[in-house]
Amino acid sequence: MPRSTSGARRRARLASAAAVIALVLGYGDLAHGGVVVAPLALVIGYVVLLPAALLSH
Amino acid sequence: MPPAAPPIDLRPSYRAATATALGVLALYVVTLAPTTAMWDASEYITAAYVLGIPHPPGNPLFVLLGRVASLLPVGGIAYRVNLLAAVCSALAAGVWFLVAERVLAQWIRVRWVQIAGAVLAAVLSATAFTVWNQSVVNEKVYTVSLAFFAVVSWLTVLWCDDPDGRRADRLLVLIAYLIGLGYTNHPAGFLVGPAVAAAVLVRRPRTLLRWRLIAAAVLALGLGLTPFAFEPIRAAHHPALNEGEPTACADGFALGCTLSDTTLHRLMDNVNRVQYGKPSLAERQACDPGNEPPCSFVEAFPAQLGMWWLYFKWQWFRDPHGAQPWLQTALAVLFLGLGIAGGVEHYRRDRASFWFFGPLVFTVTLALVYYMNFKYGASQAPELADVPREVRDRDYFYLWSYSAWSVWAALGLVAAWRALAGRAGEPPRWRATAPVLLFGALPLVGNFRAASRAGEWAPREWAHDILDSVEPYGILVTGGDNDTFPLWYAQEVEGVRRDVTVAVTSLLNTDWYARGLMRRPIYEYDAAAGPAVYRGRHWTRPTTPILSLTRAELDAVPEYLDVRQPLLFQQGNIKAAIDPRRLEFGVPLRSDLLVLQMLKDNIGVRPLYISRTTAGYANALGLGDYTILQGLVTKVATTPVTTSPDTMAVSGAGHIDVSRTLALWKGYGAPEAIRRRGDWIDRPSAGIPALYTVTALTLGEALAEQGRAAEAQQVRERGMNVAEAAHIMDWFVGATPPPPTPAAGSDAPPGTTLPAPR
Repeated sequence: MPRSTSGARRRARLASAAAVIALVLGYGDLAHGGVVVAPLALVIGYVVLLPAALLSH
Repeated sequence: MPPAAPPIDLRPSYRAATATALGVLALYVVTLAPTTAMWDASEYITAAYVLGIPHPPGNPLFVLLGRVASLLPVGGIAYRVNLLAAVCSALAAGVWFLVAERVLAQWIRVRWVQIAGAVLAAVLSATAFTVWNQSVVNEKVYTVSLAFFAVVSWLTVLWCDDPDGRRADRLLVLIAYLIGLGYTNHPAGFLVGPAVAAAVLVRRPRTLLRWRLIAAAVLALGLGLTPFAFEPIRAAHHPALNEGEPTACADGFALGCTLSDTTLHRLMDNVNRVQYGKPSLAERQACDPGNEPPCSFVEAFPAQLGMWWLYFKWQWFRDPHGAQPWLQTALAVLFLGLGIAGGVEHYRRDRASFWFFGPLVFTVTLALVYYMNFKYGASQAPELADVPREVRDRDYFYLWSYSAWSVWAALGLVAAWRALAGRAGEPPRWRATAPVLLFGALPLVGNFRAASRAGEWAPREWAHDILDSVEPYGILVTGGDNDTFPLWYAQEVEGVRRDVTVAVTSLLNTDWYARGLMRRPIYEYDAAAGPAVYRGRHWTRPTTPILSLTRAELDAVPEYLDVRQPLLFQQGNIKAAIDPRRLEFGVPLRSDLLVLQMLKDNIGVRPLYISRTTAGYANALGLGDYTILQGLVTKVATTPVTTSPDTMAVSGAGHIDVSRTLALWKGYGAPEAIRRRGDWIDRPSAGIPALYTVTALTLGEALAEQGRAAEAQQVRERGMNVAEAAHIMDWFVGATPPPPTPAAGSDAPPGTTLPAPR
């Protein structure tokens, strides 16, 4: 497998995992009434990490 | 032999685009509102701050972004959320730079000319009146949508460049995701969808047969819609703003109640905006004078197109007081022509991106005019006295249209530049003919004063003034947007007079709003922060809820009482005969019943006030003999009001509490804020400054009756200064001045299906 393809896959997996973690953290904190971590995590998850994951897949 | 033309260079100038976006952002920051504004600004700023749920569909993505913006360590909360609008629009301007540069690269090989044309597109789109005006205060969620439009546009242009390339499929999946995500900011997020579909269909139709890719795109679209999950989860915590209350959980989040049918039903009602009851598209709304909606397409569509054209004229030179209508029309014709010329050049020079951008302009212009199906605009055809009208000007719904049109207008201006440069010599003399681009600066110059919100403090002051008019722990009945949302902002964001319970009648007709009022904590009155007139006296904090009803009794209050005969309301010393014919809908609504219930439950506990923006609501409830004017509000007394040395009867205004009103008047901040600004935001909300002037004239008359001529003159002068600054002197002077309009326009839902008239 070419090195660049393998690197891209790793980045894609990393971005996807980070997105999932951000969303789980965000919704979890939201469910507990959080008003600081929840919006930060959800915005990072939806606006930064998920697009990055989709673009790198 | 002439030298060969340089090859086409499609590399985007990201650095120049970034610099342009930063320049636009600087312009917006200079003209940024320092605080809240009229209409929906206060609602959205409050929603962002309390991580709440604004009116349906609830705009969860905006709330999340707004909340993050509110955490920025710069300025006040409102300023931070306003900054979000500015950043989104500046981002859009930077992306329009890239789109315009991409088109120009196919056509003009001189790099700096491409960049100049792209800067022109960014500046024109950023300084079109509605774009600019909406970018310097977060009045709505539309600037976030604009950023999504622009980003999706750029991604689609990239896809069109290389539809079979290595990253083409990923781009399409990302576009689908962003369209879904944009929808969770506002349903307009879907408007870009047809243009993407058209581009795919024209550029590479077989893409639509690749089912795996289509399935991935649909999944991504669905993923983009998941922020709607925010609504029921957050609603379960019952934040201060919880419109639609999309949850079945009464006491905090739990999986059982969140995953219930009731929650799903309420959430879907919110997402689908059921409470607004939008008429079908076949029922056209902009009907001829004397005709009630619905009417035919042939009758309505020209007027609806006329509304778009009216606001189109505003874009290039906003002339709010009609001082130079010919100049405004001439500029509109110029920019219409430039836009058409730019569209034609776009078609000729870059067919691939045209088949995205052309359908986009069509969708956000003609298709949107048809879909929105508005009544006559608030400022449209003022000579037509008896046509149904929108409560306010709706130019913001066409923000995307004017923004996209600006890109074409810039391309049209570059075409004119190209023609001039070609005529001036060969090779084209670009530098010598560059001054033609100065036409693109006309909106920047012409709109600066009207679009800028710098120094606009009056809405915040208005909120403080009206709250301070209410005695500690009072209930204030309001009517709509402008006498309610700024108060929410003042209470929930600035912490001002939270002891006052604001009850807005238009929302009392829904089932969720009264439940929220019942849940609201009873806040302690802060005497040190309150007006001096309430000091030196003990105010007892109520211990009972605002309504004595149980949750089941509250939910059982009917939407209306189908009675046409006068009703008698009696409680304590109050005896009020309610004539349903005097009520707005001819029958007592749920809101009327709940206001009377509040009066009944709070005699001796909480004073009840009715905002004077509600245009005679107290009289319609038969409470006229019990009302006394105190500043900007009317207090409902518990015994009939009689004349005394300090309680004067003023013709046409009823009784006025002279010393209280004078003390309040001296502390009001909005008159000075309006005078300093020298204008008011728009005519449909000018009932607010008019209320100050009316109050001053009434108070002046009472003071004159008391023989306090100098004070009377001073108060009247200050009141008329407000009218002059707000450009509403025509409401107060002249042979037959029209009466001031009610101050509180409302987009709020009726929430009630009324019985057929007998």
